[in-house]
Amino acid sequence: MVFIFGVNFLEGALVNRSLRSFYGIGPKVCEGLMARFHIHKTARIRDLSDKQINNMAGELSTMTLENDLRRQVQDNIKRLRDMGSYRGRRHAMGLPVRGQRTRTQILTARKLNRVERKT
Amino acid sequence: MASLACPRCLRRSLQDLETTATAIRPQRAAFSTSPSLSANPPKKKAVVAKPSTRQGSALRLTKNTRATNTRPPAVGERKELRKKVVLSNTNALEVLGLNDLSKENLSSDALHALEAKVMGFGDTSVDRLRALKAFKPTQGWNLFRRPASLVRKETTHLLGDIEWVEAGQGSRTVRKVLYGERGSGKSVLQLQALAMASLKGWFVIHIPEAMDLTIAHTSYQPVTTPGGPTRYAQAHFACKLLRNIRDANNHLLSNLRISGEHDIPGQLKPGASLLGLVDVGVKEPARAWPVWQILWEELTLPSAQSKGGPRPPIMFTMDGIDHIMRLSAYLNAEAQPIHAHDLLLPRHFIELLSGRETLPNGGMVLGAVSESNRAASHTLDHALARNEAIQNELTPPAWDPWVKYDKNVQDAMEGVGVQRLQGLSKEEARGIMEYYARSGLIRKAVTSGLISEAWTLAGGGIIGEIEKGTVKARV
Repeated sequence: MVFIFGVNFLEGALVNRSLRSFYGIGPKVCEGLMARFHIHKTARIRDLSDKQINNMAGELSTMTLENDLRRQVQDNIKRLRDMGSYRGRRHAMGLPVRGQRTRTQILTARKLNRVERKT
Repeated sequence: MASLACPRCLRRSLQDLETTATAIRPQRAAFSTSPSLSANPPKKKAVVAKPSTRQGSALRLTKNTRATNTRPPAVGERKELRKKVVLSNTNALEVLGLNDLSKENLSSDALHALEAKVMGFGDTSVDRLRALKAFKPTQGWNLFRRPASLVRKETTHLLGDIEWVEAGQGSRTVRKVLYGERGSGKSVLQLQALAMASLKGWFVIHIPEAMDLTIAHTSYQPVTTPGGPTRYAQAHFACKLLRNIRDANNHLLSNLRISGEHDIPGQLKPGASLLGLVDVGVKEPARAWPVWQILWEELTLPSAQSKGGPRPPIMFTMDGIDHIMRLSAYLNAEAQPIHAHDLLLPRHFIELLSGRETLPNGGMVLGAVSESNRAASHTLDHALARNEAIQNELTPPAWDPWVKYDKNVQDAMEGVGVQRLQGLSKEEARGIMEYYARSGLIRKAVTSGLISEAWTLAGGGIIGEIEKGTVKARV
């Protein structure tokens, strides 16, 4: 088990997959991170050197991830709402924000567009 | 035949009626006067529900479940099976009089006489080639009793090159790229070159798939030189390569001693054997690249200067070099793709191939590229066409000013010899097909008609296709 950014990862887990389990790290950010520390595509957690793990942990701690990122997103929506902007109102109503049609196909908007956005 | 009807009243005979009635009516007394209604009416048959086609009341899904009485394959088991190289088939007939490639017949004249014949590999050769991973699972070794290969025109040429290098006593190097279509025998020709060089006491190095070096499936570490560009070492690959080299060249390494002064990692004394040095790299991947560098420095010491025994010529081969003639899948710290020539191990091969680095004790650098199913590298394609035209004293195709070429590849391929492998001649096709027949793989008589047919269907004697058409195909 290797402890990275508050999470224990199995030795055999892929570094790529492990990193992407954090909210705020997708394929592109992950690729950049791995390139930065010279980790190849198919590397597993056990292949990482201590130095790489420490550097990675240091880098992750400077990034806005997980709850901080979620809070940031919520704050952004809240700001729109407080200004009384159209986008803020649409978020509050759980409707599409960017001019999409509302007759059909607004399941994603209903799920995501809240002032207190969950995911 | 008498009619059954009564001739007077034109009615049918009673007897006949009685007899037929019994079959269709319920049984009752023939002359009873009681009305038939007073009798109990014949029981109606109970209505039986028609059985439905579907058995059972619920939908059975168990039929769809996969049988789980077998254990799932272990990690790496399937890959191992896929990559397994089988070199013997006990069901194949043993070919009588099959000679081995040996030191005795390794001269151009002797081998020239053996052209279009199949020669086996001795046990030692097989062990060394296997250690180098020179046999590939896609080749048909598993069909025959023991590994053997056809001596073709190109094999003799290669031996001629080897002899030419040896005659130069260290001052000569052959740098060559073999190319040709799929199944034309490039890899096997490389294998023959390795076998011949090994028999002649050369140091042999082989990278069976250049792709493994560039698809970012093995670790890489930046190596910075002050003021110079960043290059990348591949520790785990170097470690594996050192192991292959150690197994294949054990007899040479144990006799050669470290001669120069090096910052040797581990507990090695200055006069230790090179085998001990290689072992350090094999045990620890982190030290593999420095060990490779020291090993190379030692091997390329001019024999006159080395205190640790005369250094042998080197045969360095790589298969699928198209992959190291383009950007690799590795990324640098800025997430930009790294050129394959900036990876140290491929770079080393390229330096040798291009002649920028020399082999003071002589040797041969041999690459192979397929013309089908390969990594796109149009600069390499153009360079191959150009070099071949120059070799044949034809006008070389010009570099198109509107196409962006890879400068690294252009420079690397400048002045490299190329050889395009084509189909076998009819005599060579006869040689290999007779060998198939003697191994019991062709039942028909090998006539010139059959040979011509196989040769033509194989696109003009492409050896892989001949094998596919005559031996592997089951109609």
